Amino acid sequence: MERKDFLKRLGMSSLILPLMVSCSKDDDPTPSTGTCTSTDSETAGPFPTKDPSSLVLASIVSDRTGVAFTIKITIQDKNNSCAALEGAIVDIWHCDKDGYYSEYGGTTMQTVDYTSVHFLRGRQTTDSNGMVGFTSIFPGWYSGRATHIHVHIYNAAGTSLLVTQIGFPEGSGSAVSLVNASTANGYTKGMSGYTYNASDNIFADSQDTEIGTVAGSVANGFEITHTIVVSA
Amino acid sequence: MAKGVIQICYRKIIDATSASIWDKYVFEDTYKEFLMQVQQFDQQQKYATFQEILKNTPKADQMHYLVSTAAIGYIRQLNERMPDVVNVFGKPCVPFKNFRFEIIQSHVKNKDLHKVVIYFYSEPITWIDTISHNQLLFAPGDQLEALANRKKVETEMMVLSPNISITSYQQNNSITL
Repeated sequence: MERKDFLKRLGMSSLILPLMVSCSKDDDPTPSTGTCTSTDSETAGPFPTKDPSSLVLASIVSDRTGVAFTIKITIQDKNNSCAALEGAIVDIWHCDKDGYYSEYGGTTMQTVDYTSVHFLRGRQTTDSNGMVGFTSIFPGWYSGRATHIHVHIYNAAGTSLLVTQIGFPEGSGSAVSLVNASTANGYTKGMSGYTYNASDNIFADSQDTEIGTVAGSVANGFEITHTIVVSA
Repeated sequence: MAKGVIQICYRKIIDATSASIWDKYVFEDTYKEFLMQVQQFDQQQKYATFQEILKNTPKADQMHYLVSTAAIGYIRQLNERMPDVVNVFGKPCVPFKNFRFEIIQSHVKNKDLHKVVIYFYSEPITWIDTISHNQLLFAPGDQLEALANRKKVETEMMVLSPNISITSYQQNNSITL
């Protein structure tokens, strides 16, 4: 093949041919032509910007569906007369309506999109009232456990203060019963086989401090409020 | 005649010696996340290395994923172009959407021992030819049909470097042996 044909097939016009011939690396001296100097090319950019952890979210719904749910957690400091603890980092995570967590596969392949493996996990920092809030969907349940939300509280420096869980009130008319009966919202398990708090090996001995307060309706969504006391 | 459609994988290791800004951000933020998450798995703080924690605490392999949450923002900033894998003009040229993140090693008291790896998997690309010993002429996507029909396709010349592997290959059936 003739060189010109080869270049033609590559889509190279005569206009960019000189560029190819004099192709320079980034560290070559800046080329000069006549009285003006070409602007340097910049191949290293765009420069990265500091990016917070993808856990820092107020809405942790991602691609999950279910009954609307708001989580409001207040952190108090036992070492400061139970005053609100400002600046604490609060991680939460819970399962989806079918009882599944974000991918725990560890080293499996992920996509840049990430939503299919990264859901219902969030991180917020407490305000001056010691509060954090998350928008989510009402968690489902899985065999062996009562409905729950995992919470990990750190001080502002990231030192762990407490790893705990928030349980849900139960019984007829409770949000847990109503939501799990809501097939219209995709909850298909009902309460058959559910592990109640009294039989749950996490909550059985700690229901007085670990069960949140839940209000709302299936139609309008529920809200859980809970206070967690740490020793900061 | 194009050789076939391939997927390439680039293995990028990030540790305390990494020099670029992107690498440093990933290094710093994944180490910080490691320190935060490790406290959930080793609440008694009995262990120092990731290997010890992995061996002795249940479910600690979840940490690969949990720590990756600190890297995903930077991975998104790459705009779906593999870092470091450049064309002859020095520009990123290989499209990717998939990656795998692993902690190779880490230490709760020694940041210098923190080391992670990100495997970037390319989207399918058409391997047209190999030029010299280290340049791959390719076209993004599956262009076998277009090439067979003598249509013009946009191409890239990628410089092959260490840590790049071809991880899948679909032969061009129109090759005549």
